[in-house]
Amino acid sequence: MIEFRRIKKVYRTGSQSLEALRDLTIEIGRGEFVSIMGPSGSGKSTLMNIIGCLDTPTEGEYVLEGRNVAGLSLDQLASIRNKTIGFVFQNFNLLPYATAWENVELPLLFNGKKGKQRRERVAELLKAVGLLDWKEHRPSELSGGQQQRIALARALANDPPLILADEPTGNLDSKSGEEIMALLSRLWKEGRTIVMVSHDDRIAAYSQRTIHLFDGMLAD
Amino acid sequence: MNLTLLRFFLSEYRKRRKKAALITFALFWGTMSIIIFLGFGQGMTAQFRISFSGLGQDLIMISGGQTSRTYQGLPKGRRVYVYPTDIDYLKARIPEIDTIAPESYNNWAVSARRKEINRTVHGTTAEFARMRTQIPRLGGRFINPDDVRDGRKVAFIGWKVARDLYGAEDPIGQAVVVNRVPFTVVGVLEKKLQDSMYNGPDADQVYLPFSSFGQIDSQPYLDRIHIRPREPRYSLLIEERIRTLLGRKYRFDRDDRYALGIWNTIEDAKEALAIFKGIEVFMGIMGALTLLIGAVGVTNLMYAVVKERTQEIGIKMALGARRRVIILQIVLETLFIFVKGTFWGFITAFNIIQLVRRIPVNYDSFDIGGYLLRPVFSLETLFIFLAVVGILVFLSGIFPAVRASRLNPIESLRYE
Repeated sequence: MIEFRRIKKVYRTGSQSLEALRDLTIEIGRGEFVSIMGPSGSGKSTLMNIIGCLDTPTEGEYVLEGRNVAGLSLDQLASIRNKTIGFVFQNFNLLPYATAWENVELPLLFNGKKGKQRRERVAELLKAVGLLDWKEHRPSELSGGQQQRIALARALANDPPLILADEPTGNLDSKSGEEIMALLSRLWKEGRTIVMVSHDDRIAAYSQRTIHLFDGMLAD
Repeated sequence: MNLTLLRFFLSEYRKRRKKAALITFALFWGTMSIIIFLGFGQGMTAQFRISFSGLGQDLIMISGGQTSRTYQGLPKGRRVYVYPTDIDYLKARIPEIDTIAPESYNNWAVSARRKEINRTVHGTTAEFARMRTQIPRLGGRFINPDDVRDGRKVAFIGWKVARDLYGAEDPIGQAVVVNRVPFTVVGVLEKKLQDSMYNGPDADQVYLPFSSFGQIDSQPYLDRIHIRPREPRYSLLIEERIRTLLGRKYRFDRDDRYALGIWNTIEDAKEALAIFKGIEVFMGIMGALTLLIGAVGVTNLMYAVVKERTQEIGIKMALGARRRVIILQIVLETLFIFVKGTFWGFITAFNIIQLVRRIPVNYDSFDIGGYLLRPVFSLETLFIFLAVVGILVFLSGIFPAVRASRLNPIESLRYE
């Protein structure tokens, strides 16, 4: 599913340069549930951004589902993000002015899904996360746990094989966090690949395998 | 592009509408300027056409002159006259002539019902009516060929003459005495705008059949020959041929510009129309520049919108929005802002034009009002306006939109 071959990421600001990832080689198989842990500054976010096709490596090869991502155009990367990857963020990142329904609908609109098919899909997703009755509410009218469930429904809109979760429970109380983790586990059991960043051992315990990063390299 | 996506953009725009009253006002004002300026510009051109055709349409007028060069031993300073025989002479030799009419005139006392006024009285033929826009009021007619053939004592009078002699009464069928000879009024000139003339406006003139005029006037030569070419483009050719033919007949140099008086209204109209067109274009540009001020405001607003929504743009990018979706949304919002501002400007300008058109034009004396009181709202105005707005929407929207589409998704997601 995900192959990192000698990935290097260097950030340059003026004359200074910072190596966020150094010769990182990772392989994550289809259907795996992997968590990434490490102290801040260890390169977790950079790694997630590259996996999520939001950023490109400075050197090395990144192959996603057999496709080399390096050298793809911005629109091709957007298309991969739309169809192959579902994002779940720590701070939910819902559109504040859009309703729950519209937030879930957005990736389907970007994918060009037509009327009835799209509406059925949105209803199905909202039902799956138990928030169909809240479809007309805006994020500010929902609790943190509800917002994250909406975000999860949105991540699943185009039925992507890969879910990237960046501290998905970081802003939630423990009960809501458990609900989200239960949902993620269910998705994993349905066959999706899940990559999750967390610094909480209890949350990481939901995954099959943990990758520890330190200073842009594997810690073990 | 998905219709629902457009609807989504519209609903986002509505929810997030910026308070931008000043910008809306600038667009309103700019729209008013462009439509009203274009309307008055086109109206002036149209009024010029109308008032210029008050004299006549596609007209060349020939009158006698005085030689300014010696020719074949003849001295300069000789008077040159045109005569009634020249009518058939020219018509037979210049096939490009469509119609030709003679005109002689004299100042005489004109009286009716114990009122006497002094007016210019003309003798001419039936063709004159069409060439010199002599449109009779309902119930009357101009001099006709039978009048001329039989030397009938009939007269066609200007509407001011009718008013001066008969007041509110209908002069048709009534007697009018010209130079102590009684005539019957057969027609009154309909009111018209006339900005060019030689003996005062046609409203003040009296017209008699050419033959009848000859019976009370002893002048052997014509004052004017009126010619209409088959097509306007022949006008200069006809002018040259007349100089050649009459030069040969009356022995003057064809290049002597003073031997004949030639008033070529076709060439005059061309020049004047070019000037009016220039004014029209100038006014259009002024209007467009006024609207540009509003457009600059919109660009500013859209940059602010992009900045404010950086994070949302980042979210959309993460969810797979392509660059063109981001661009489209910003450009469409620019369009919405424009539509709101320009719509009311458009309605207001349209109504102002219609109101101004209701102000009556003064036919008694031709003044600037004749040009200004008939602004036009034409399809052309609409197209020019839409084109200008289209260009401005694109220009004001595209730069903020492209900036938005170039945002880095990671940095945008972190933007607070």
